[in-house]
Amino acid sequence: MSDTTKNSAERKEADRLQSGGLLSVLKRRPEAGSFLVMLVAVIVISFASNGNAFNPLGLKNNFTVISQFGIIATGACLLMIAGDFDLSIGSMIGFAGMSMAMMLKWGLPFGLGAATPFTAFLLTLVMTLAIGWLIGTIVVRSKLSSFIVSLAFLFFLRGVTEVSFRLINQSTQISGLQDFKETSWFAAMFGGQALGWFYDTWFALGGNINRAGNQWVTGFDARFLWWVGLSLVAYIVLSRTQAGNWIFATGDNSESARANGVPVDKVRISLFMFTAFCATLFAACQVFDTNTADAAKGNLKELEAIAIAVVGGTLMTGGFGSVIGIVFGAITFGLVANAVFFIPSIDGSYYRVFVGVVLLTAVFLNESVRKRITGGL
Amino acid sequence: MAEPLIRTQGLTKKFGPFTALNGIDLEVYKGEVLALLGDNGAGKSTLIKILSGVHQPTAGKIFVEGAEMKFASPRDASNAGIGTVYQDLAINPLMSVTRNFFMGRELYRGVAPFGLLDMTKMDEIAHAEMVKIGIDVSDPRQAVGTMSGGQRQTLAIARAIYFGAKVLILDEPTSALGQKQQMGVLKTMMRVRARGDIAIIFITHNEIHSQLVADRYTFLALGEVIGGGAKADLEHDEIRRLMAGGSDIGDLAKELQDIQAE
Repeated sequence: MSDTTKNSAERKEADRLQSGGLLSVLKRRPEAGSFLVMLVAVIVISFASNGNAFNPLGLKNNFTVISQFGIIATGACLLMIAGDFDLSIGSMIGFAGMSMAMMLKWGLPFGLGAATPFTAFLLTLVMTLAIGWLIGTIVVRSKLSSFIVSLAFLFFLRGVTEVSFRLINQSTQISGLQDFKETSWFAAMFGGQALGWFYDTWFALGGNINRAGNQWVTGFDARFLWWVGLSLVAYIVLSRTQAGNWIFATGDNSESARANGVPVDKVRISLFMFTAFCATLFAACQVFDTNTADAAKGNLKELEAIAIAVVGGTLMTGGFGSVIGIVFGAITFGLVANAVFFIPSIDGSYYRVFVGVVLLTAVFLNESVRKRITGGL
Repeated sequence: MAEPLIRTQGLTKKFGPFTALNGIDLEVYKGEVLALLGDNGAGKSTLIKILSGVHQPTAGKIFVEGAEMKFASPRDASNAGIGTVYQDLAINPLMSVTRNFFMGRELYRGVAPFGLLDMTKMDEIAHAEMVKIGIDVSDPRQAVGTMSGGQRQTLAIARAIYFGAKVLILDEPTSALGQKQQMGVLKTMMRVRARGDIAIIFITHNEIHSQLVADRYTFLALGEVIGGGAKADLEHDEIRRLMAGGSDIGDLAKELQDIQAE
């Protein structure tokens, strides 16, 4: 008996939390699950494609898709951590692409003359940021669910895109624009190539050779660099700055954040503008790369962005998530979406089967992570 | 005693035709615990909300260290040194102790709001402040969700004090806690009291808790002060009677007996 009383006297409340080893610390990280999923995807696809998915061209093409996913998922992730959804991302991509291509083809609005890639991009960005601000303001002021408000904008923006195309362009697509990335450094920044040194080095080391014996691939798509840069900035902002603390606080419990002086409304509106920025970046890379635009561009991208955010470990209810998780999630989704090109026996439908399965698994996993970090409360 | 740290004079609050508070006079001094007791609907919450700047009084004045104050927002009250720890604690369970401690008042280098957080220093301060008040959190980076209710209460109190609270308003800090954790919170209160420079307004339903820590009492009923005084001057039964809004507990015992007898 004396033993038990002695023990209970020495035990403190703090002792009840096991500090645990490195493994248990890693298991608490939001990106733990997505890292494992990515690992499986990389291994399975490397074997199933006989390594073709990671040859010079495969790597470039994969990272094109991965970067596209990554750019919009980063926006969706930060917004989701703050507790909101933006279903208008896909329509915003279509809208921004239409806006840029139309200005490049038909000139700037209000008779301001011919557009350069820079003015077309800038004017489009002003519009998309304004729409992002509007969505955020409506959500904050009306206290309606962001799900519904941004759903309205999903339809509205897609409709506006199609209507504008038909009225001005008589067709819902634009193709055969001048290849601006050859003449404008600004267009090349989005649609050109980047990180050529990587492939140059590969060639110098004796790889990356095409059938004629010359260097095969000369560089990644520029959007790869944008994605890396965007992820880096988003990572630093989210986990190392005051703004990041505000984003977490807003999503976790906005009332207590407000009571402690966090400008909750500004945080939310800014993040809706950030998703609009990500969508515009996505569209700019696409327009200046392919010199085309289409009213259907970006369709369903908002749902893929949310799926990647969830697979990356972001909680649907907000307050928890990580940009590193999004990187893993985007790599996974990009590889699987592209797998059809490297594995002859499958078609695109397998991708959607995969998304469904992984998404559901991720939600269960996230829920268990949440319980673990909050001690089951 | 000298100037009270906080004093209210004829504080009145009306919500349309409804009079929530009808001329409340209150005084709290440094280093003492004032227990504010009263039944549900007595006006305790309204009074706290006025003191913490959430509501503005219809009439009456608030003095902090002798100077009249008007609080347009919770921020004003907090700047004037009034720290309120609400029942829901204003704490974010998924965030770390440190991030909660500094929420909205982060230490950073660079340009707001994108200044880099000084996590090492914030971790140190959060840990040290929690130790001062009696809880040694093993890791300030642990999520608040892993802490017990009593520890969360302590975190909220430590945060209020660190950010300059001279008057600490605790809204039913012991309700919804287990027995042992309640004692922990009471100990925390006594440690804060022992500092001598902070006044505590302790709102509670629990007569035993109030007797353990309070120096003085104020009883509210139907929006008015119906009694009060130093602990030494009040009889046990008197406290109970006033807590129930003035009705006699003896009557209740008889009524209960009558029901049983039926």
